Amino acid sequence: MNAIDAYRNPLYWAGVALGPAAFAVNQQTVYAITAQACNAAVSPAVVLSVLMALVAALGALVSFRAIRRDAAAEWAEAQGGRARNFMAWLGFGSGVIFALVIVDQLAAALMINPCLR
Amino acid sequence: MSELVSTPDRELRDNDLDHSELSARLIGLWHTPSGWLGRLATVDHKVVGKRYILTAFAFLALGGILAVLMRLQLSGAERKLLSPDLYNQVFTMHGSTMMFLFAVPVMKAFAVYFVPLMVGTRNIAFPRLNAFSYWIFLFGGCFLWGSFLFNAGPDIGWFAYVPLSSLQFNPSKRADVWAQMITFTEVAALAVAVEIVVTVFKQRAVGMTLDRIPIYVWAMLVTAFLVLFAMPSVMIASTTLILDRLVNTHFYDTASGGNVLLWQHLFWFFGHPEVYIIFIPATGMVSMLVATFARRPVVGYTVIVLSLIATGFLSFGLWVHHMFATGLPQLGASMFTASSMLIAVPSGLQIFCWLATLWDGRPVYRTPLLFVLGFIAIFVLGGLSGVMVASVPIDMQVHDTYFVVAHFHYVLIGGAVFPLIGALYYWFPKITGRMLSERLGRWNFWLAFIGFNIGFFPMHILGLMGMPRRVYTYTPEMGWDHLNLLSSTGGVVFATSFVLLIFNVIHSLRRGELAGDNPWDASTLEWATSSPPPPYNFSRIPVVTHRDPLWADAGNLPVVAGLSVERREVLLSSVADAEPHTRESSPEPSIWPLLTAIATTIFFIGSIFTPWAVVWGTPPIAAALIGWFWPSGTKEDEE
Repeated sequence: MNAIDAYRNPLYWAGVALGPAAFAVNQQTVYAITAQACNAAVSPAVVLSVLMALVAALGALVSFRAIRRDAAAEWAEAQGGRARNFMAWLGFGSGVIFALVIVDQLAAALMINPCLR
Repeated sequence: MSELVSTPDRELRDNDLDHSELSARLIGLWHTPSGWLGRLATVDHKVVGKRYILTAFAFLALGGILAVLMRLQLSGAERKLLSPDLYNQVFTMHGSTMMFLFAVPVMKAFAVYFVPLMVGTRNIAFPRLNAFSYWIFLFGGCFLWGSFLFNAGPDIGWFAYVPLSSLQFNPSKRADVWAQMITFTEVAALAVAVEIVVTVFKQRAVGMTLDRIPIYVWAMLVTAFLVLFAMPSVMIASTTLILDRLVNTHFYDTASGGNVLLWQHLFWFFGHPEVYIIFIPATGMVSMLVATFARRPVVGYTVIVLSLIATGFLSFGLWVHHMFATGLPQLGASMFTASSMLIAVPSGLQIFCWLATLWDGRPVYRTPLLFVLGFIAIFVLGGLSGVMVASVPIDMQVHDTYFVVAHFHYVLIGGAVFPLIGALYYWFPKITGRMLSERLGRWNFWLAFIGFNIGFFPMHILGLMGMPRRVYTYTPEMGWDHLNLLSSTGGVVFATSFVLLIFNVIHSLRRGELAGDNPWDASTLEWATSSPPPPYNFSRIPVVTHRDPLWADAGNLPVVAGLSVERREVLLSSVADAEPHTRESSPEPSIWPLLTAIATTIFFIGSIFTPWAVVWGTPPIAAALIGWFWPSGTKEDEE
């Protein structure tokens, strides 16, 4: 790592971890609790999906804030060599993609009655 | 040239020698010993990789012959080429061969050959494990095909659903053969996955930071993690199936509290990522080919890597879409519909990046690029029908029909085989030193593209007309004759394209144009060495200062100096920034991986006949492993 690539934010990779983790928790938990959610007053699937979408978005936000301001140059040339900035971009994208997937699952949870077989 | 830190009483290093002396020394150190024993003991990743590639293509040929047999049987109503029993074996062998003995192994094979070259190291990590992996794969494949030739080939589909595969409905050894073949091939795949992860993380050339890793290598890294997390699931499944059949456990016996859906969950938790284990390496190949033939760096490097990683994670969240017809709660199923549809997003991002690269570049339409264009056309169609069957109502309508057969052949052949053949044309010069014939290549492509679409597109319509999968024949009243005949005709044309490919390979091996080091003017490190590469890959380990090192430092690649020339040695570097960390010895050739594989094979095959094989089969494996790791006084052991 060269000096210009030194990082203050140690959580630049947050989106890479939080996005997929939130997706995994949401999908597995909703799939597992569907049978028990049938008689609940407030759908636990909806609550969980909202929470997990926020977690994934938080990961995207943390990574986004870690992207260096001069990062635009990376899109114009293909030299590379700034691994942490690269991971921060990956974290931002990963957080956004998985937040979208969870929101899509939230839409299903809002529309589909958990009692349906 | 940067020099590694040295000690006063150090051994002879590469910077003490001029180029010719260094090459002679390195050949002496790294060459595969002569004679049959030497060839069996080799641990050179290129030799093992070539064996893997050849073996996987041999299994492709065998699986392809079965496909042609099925298409001949189905080309008209009530044909009698294959009996119902043989047809069951043939479609099971076709699916199992293509998935377990061709598609996954061939992707690993290319990685075994090219990942070390592309990251700029001298051998793959754990090269003896690599050799063991190949032997286990070979023996597993021979075991499956040997069983088939003796009428003991599995007849339960490539997914071996219980209760069909249980002892009650399948009392012969056919299901056991399938289950143990799984164990063979998965052990081999897991071994290669570990090697790839370690090679990519620890053996990259100095300066090859995470954002300078070639996209193909990223793809193989993601694939390796998929293998590590997906394959254990199917190994558990196949082992529990054998236990049910052999020692009367009740994992899948509903009368005793077992659960048949457990099988489907375990199988598809592996089975769906398996599709991406095949597809993701192919997208990595496409990224390399597009950049080289568009004559510019690939557009959206970060987006493509993001897509690979996102696809890898998402692939573990789709498996239940194979089980929509099993009566699961609708909300639960909808979770998988959502992720099944949204996995199209990262795949779509990659396609847009490739199109943008071609649009902004100066494309040269050589055979590899033709196969890439064919891939894009076919895979997009397969992806569209995939989004369709991700929807529960549509899936319920077309489940177990030829629509699904059409869909997954569009995805797997379009998404993996077309890029693979393109990659073969691309990397053949590096492997052999000779170019494949461009003229035959174009014939090859057009025959494949036209034959494939004639062969598989009608299956969509047949499926919508209600033709079920896995039927050995049908009556004339169903009205499926003409489309089936068309499909079979296309299948034969498609098969012909592979005959042409084989001819091209054999012809070009003898008479092909000499390739030179970098015939395509490509940018990645495998082209920085000779064609074919020497046993040591690089006389001096390159230093990477750019994502496309051969374009940035053409003819003047900086190198690292200071590696020993008295023992096999590789340079280890840090995970994120590829800073040099230490010199590490690399194992020398050994016969023990082969002997261990033989002992393991005896154990695996014996254990489908008697549980006592676990008892008497273990000591030979233990003995072989002791021999494998026994200190032999070589320089490798002195560290």
